[in-house]
Order: sequence, then C-alpha cells, then structure tokens
Amino acid sequence: MAGALVLAAATSGCSSGSAEGDLGKTTITVAGMPATTAAKTRKQFLDAVAAFEKANPDIKLKPTDTQWDARTFATRLAGGNAETVLTVPLTEPPGLIARRQIADLSAEIKTLPHATDFDPRALAPATGAEGKVYGLPVTEYALGLVYNRALFAKAGLDPDKPPATWDEVRAAAKKIAGPGVAGYTQMTVKNTGGWILTAMTYSFGGQMEKKEGEQYVPSLLDGPAEQALRHLAAMRWQDDSMGANQLRTQQDAERDFAAGKIGMMIGTVNSYTRYTTLYSGKPDDFGIAALPQQAGAKATLLGGLVAAVNAKATPAQRAAAVKWIDYYYLKPNYDPAAAEQLAIANAADKLAVGLPTLPFYGTAVSGPVNAAIAKHSNIPVSNFTPYVKDTDKLEYLVEPPVAAQDLYGALDTAVQAVLTRKDADPRDELTKAAARVAPLLEKAQ
Amino acid sequence: MTRRSGLAAALFLIPTVLVFGLFSWWPIVRSVVLGFQRTNLVEAAAFTGLDNFRTLLADPLLVTAAGNTLLFTGLALIIGFPVPIVLAVLMSELRRGSGLMRVLVYLPVVVPPVVAVLMWKWFYDPDSGLFNQLLGLVGLGPYPWLQSTGMAMPSLVLEATWAGAGGAVLIYLAALSSVPTELYEAAELDGASVWRRLWHVTLPQLRPILLIMLLLQVINTFQVFTEPFVLTDGGPEDSTVTVLLLIYRYAFVNGDYGAAAALSVSLAVVLAVLSAVYLRLTRTWGTK
Repeated sequence: MAGALVLAAATSGCSSGSAEGDLGKTTITVAGMPATTAAKTRKQFLDAVAAFEKANPDIKLKPTDTQWDARTFATRLAGGNAETVLTVPLTEPPGLIARRQIADLSAEIKTLPHATDFDPRALAPATGAEGKVYGLPVTEYALGLVYNRALFAKAGLDPDKPPATWDEVRAAAKKIAGPGVAGYTQMTVKNTGGWILTAMTYSFGGQMEKKEGEQYVPSLLDGPAEQALRHLAAMRWQDDSMGANQLRTQQDAERDFAAGKIGMMIGTVNSYTRYTTLYSGKPDDFGIAALPQQAGAKATLLGGLVAAVNAKATPAQRAAAVKWIDYYYLKPNYDPAAAEQLAIANAADKLAVGLPTLPFYGTAVSGPVNAAIAKHSNIPVSNFTPYVKDTDKLEYLVEPPVAAQDLYGALDTAVQAVLTRKDADPRDELTKAAARVAPLLEKAQ
Repeated sequence: MTRRSGLAAALFLIPTVLVFGLFSWWPIVRSVVLGFQRTNLVEAAAFTGLDNFRTLLADPLLVTAAGNTLLFTGLALIIGFPVPIVLAVLMSELRRGSGLMRVLVYLPVVVPPVVAVLMWKWFYDPDSGLFNQLLGLVGLGPYPWLQSTGMAMPSLVLEATWAGAGGAVLIYLAALSSVPTELYEAAELDGASVWRRLWHVTLPQLRPILLIMLLLQVINTFQVFTEPFVLTDGGPEDSTVTVLLLIYRYAFVNGDYGAAAALSVSLAVVLAVLSAVYLRLTRTWGTK
C-alpha cells in the first residue's frame, strides 16, 4: 500500500516505444503536439508532420499532445510508452543526463544545417559536463523581473523605468505594498524556492556550486546567496513589503500577479502567454525588465524548453528524431518563411507572437527570422523594451550542474525559513542547506 | 459432488486471483525487489544490497518526515478520531432531519480530494482567505495558518478530518443501529443519565468497531500525502514533509526509484508490525 506511489515504476513492462515499422519505415513518437484548444497551431503542427513524412518517406511520426510531467515520465519510460522526442523544461536535463535517460545527440547534431552557427548559450542547458549534447533548444529565455505596470503607476513609479538593482526593487516594493498587495514576492515551494534563489544569487555575482579539484561542491556560503537571502529578509520583515503569503508555487504566483496582487517577481518571458490566456491578465499591465543586478554582477539564469530523445531509441530512431527536431523546432529559427508560417498560426490562436526569446543562432541567421516574426507580433512590444534593452548585456548562466533538484529542494527550506520566521538567520539556513546537499552532490558524481 | 463443486469454485476464482496477482501482488513484489536495486528504468537494474536503505538513513529529512507523520497521526487521533463518533451519536438521537444531516456530513467525501484540498488552500490564504476574513469579523487574527511551522500541521489535520469524517460517521451510525434497544431501556429504568448510557451502553457495544476503525485510521494517517502535497509541499521549513511525500520526492523529483521503493517497503513493514502488535494487544478487548 505504502509503495503504491512507486509500484507503477516497478512494473517494468514491454520493450521500448516504437521500433522500425511495418513497411521498413522508422517509426517515432513525438511529444509537443499543441492541445485542441490551440486549433490553428495544432493544425500547423499536424501539417508539419504530414510535410515531414512526405519529405522523409522512410520515417513515420506518431504525434502526441502529452506534456512533460516528471511524475509520469519514469513510469512511461519503464513501460516503453515515453515518446521518442520529448520536450522538457530546462530544470530537467542535468538529472536526465545523470540518470542516462536521454540520448547523446552530439553525432546527429553535426549533420544539421547551420550546425556551426549555433549560439553556444542555446546548447549549454542540455550539454553534459563532458561536452556531449543531449538536447536541442525549443525555446529559451533569460529570467527577468516581471512587474505590474498599473501598480507601478499607482504607486507613483515610472513603469518605463523599472528597477535595475535589488536596492531599487526594495524601494519600489515598499511603495507598491498595501492591503492585499505584495510589493515583491518570491516563489518558495516545489523546488521553485531554490530555482529562483539561484537566479537571484547569479544576479548578486554568485554561483550555487563550484568545482573543488574534480568534484562539484555547494558554494552557498560564499557570500552572494547569503546577501540575496538577507535582502529578502529585509524586504519581508523590515519593510513588510512581501505580503503574508510566502508559500507560493509558480502557478500561484502567476495567478496572483495577473489578479493585481503582486507588484514584482522574478519570472519568465513566456509567462506572458499564461498571463493573458490562462489568467486573463490585461496585456497593457504586464511589464518585464532584465533581472536586477547587485554589487556589479551581470548574470541571469536561462529558462525554457529543450527537445531531447528517449535513451531507449534505436540509432535509426535517434537519427529520425533529430531530423524532426530540426524540421519543427529549429527551422523556424533559421528559415524566415517557416518562422512566419508558425507566427501566423500562433497569432490566429491568440498565442503570444514576438516574445523576446534567446536566438539559437548568430545575428546573420536570426536577424531575418526575427524580422519575419515581428510582422505578426501581437504583444505590447514597448512593455518588453526594458527587458530586451538590458538582458543582452548579461551573462546567461545555466542550472547548477550536479543534483540541481536536490539543491533546489534544500534551498526551498532555507527561503521558507527566512520568509516565514523573523528570527531565522540566513547564514544558518544556508549552512543547513549546504550540509544537506553536500553528500548528495558527492553521491551524484 | 464436493470435489466437482470445489473445482468449479477454483475455476471461478482464477480470474480474480489473476487480476489481483497481476495488479496488486506482483507490483508489491517488484517494489520490494526494487528496494534493493539501483535503476534508471532504461538499463537493466543492478542489485546494490542495502545501499538504498543506507541512503535513507543518511538523509536528515527521514527523521523529520517520520516525526511529522507521527505528529499528523497523533493529531488526527486526538482531533479526527472522536469527531465522527460524537457526530454519529448525536445524529442517532435526532428525531427529524437525520437524512439531511447524513447527506451534509457525507458530502465532503463525495468532493474529489484535490478539489477539496484546493478549496481549503483558499480558506487558509493569509491575505484573503475565508477563515481570516470570518475571524476578522469578530476581531481575531489574522492567523498565518499554513505559513507557520506551528500551525501548518494542525491545519492539515483539520482539513483531513473534515474530508474523512463522513465515511466514518456512516459506519458508526450503522453500528449504533445494531445496539439492542433493550439495553438502553434497561439503563433508563435503572435511572442512568445520557452520559452514563453513552459510557456504559453505547461505547462498550461499539468497542469492536472502534478498535478496527482506530487501526484503519492509524494506517491511513501514516500514509497522508494529498494534503501536504497540495497545500504546503512539505513547507514551511519541512514542517509538513511526511513519509509519503518523501517517497514521492525520491521517485519523481530526484529520480531515485530504489530509495523510494526502499522507503515504501520500510513503511509497509512498520505498519504491518504495528498492526500485528495492536491486534495482539486488543484481541481480548473487543470481546470483553
């Protein structure tokens, strides 16, 4: 009974997914088909499937609209039901690589068009420590400061001049905070506490892990993480500008932000889509700036999705999978016509078009693509200007390389302590977190 | 004739045994085996002896999770166990409206657990939640509810009691209806008050069902998952991390399926031993 949660994981069943099919074709399953609610984009996806199959008569695609879910992935992998091509959030590849659950694509990637034009930052999140590449970018963006422009104006702040440093964030949060409105908020549960603190630590000039000899060890006590936590503690307890609710998931925070209950938070560019479609937020009120920096730091954390290939895929399936990833996900980033076609479908479905994401290729390739997309942009472009203007000046850092989820879990506890208990000492909490993750990092290497 | 009917019975049993074996026993066996293996569910699993159990013992969260689970179980016994008994006794005394009362009490059981828990998440919201708004009307609060290490666990127990009481009330009502009315009549003739009738007639008659319900509640509360998962995700400061939440994290956050299985097996063993000891201790109590 108690084992019910992992029973399914224990029932390893049939062989791996789809193999070479009936007519000598290589059959692969591909995740990422848009939901039926996005009819035009779904049709565009299915048209792409048909066109791909026509151009590659030896490959058969079986699309699914399954979204990435860490809870079901392992069982579906064990049961042979995980798709050949998966789209996974950037928080996942380090763990998947360490557990050897996704395939090394280095050889296949070399055969792609524009293989030598990749922006190294775009490939970094799914690159293993030994330099092998395990995934290709689907969409990538730097984390920034999401803010409510209406609340800024109401508090007498200029929505076109959002805070550029954490001191300015603190000052703005004090002005915005009021009954039922938090000036600034921080996600703290389901490992988002660690994830966001990592971004914040980068923006204070720090790292979460460092190499000592051949091993990675936690670097939580090097200063920047502590400064970040002390800054949060000051906003929470001295200024009382963070509201009363300190146990928010990403969904909670995005919902409350759209409802006008939050002035600022660290967030992502693509949260704009959920803001407008899922939570009916007003487009004009959405603002985003580059991640604020402190003490001369110039860094942010990269977020987004990468396409990876199931480790159970045969070499033929792996090759077919990379061909599909190139055709569907990469081509709209190097072929202006493909980019425009996708932008038209997205705009018809009222999905955000023209979000400032990280280009996968150098300017020579991405310039014409961005111009093609810009023609169909449906976002309030000027609201993204502060983000676009300053983010490119920052270094894009990836997730901590070893046992990131363990680290994030331990840091959730530290962030929660600082935000829910007035007498919690940031250094003590980080010391406890470091002690908790040090053996896990050692075990994972 | 007997042999033939025995054979027929065995034939009828085969589908049930097969289904039960395949979907219940086999996964349990696989889970136990997995507890001694390291696997990524792609390559063949490797036996690692007691490594997974060593991982568990080295994890400081295990002690926290075990302590929290015991706290939840204890609070659920103090708060959650008497509530259905009291409700059932009161409802059995009702002359009118008992049908409506039964519907009202059972209603929370019909609400899907995640929906119910999400509803309570809003009740507990420290800014705009129902509880703080209502208490604010009489000048109390605001209380931090889920935001404080001291209040988070009792808050979870409160929700779990609300969600689970209905089923227990129906069972107690059924048991109460089987108590012979002559016993109450005799007690009344002897001049026993309501309290004495409850103490000397009702509770002794309910004793066997009380004992089994107590055991079932302990087993259930040891496996609490939905409430901490949805309401707090173990926070704040790990104050609501339970053993099952830890199992979940091992398996589905960290991908350590061996450790998850090892902890599942350990919990099952603890519960089996606890049940055996309890049944042995109470073997005579139910019939006294």
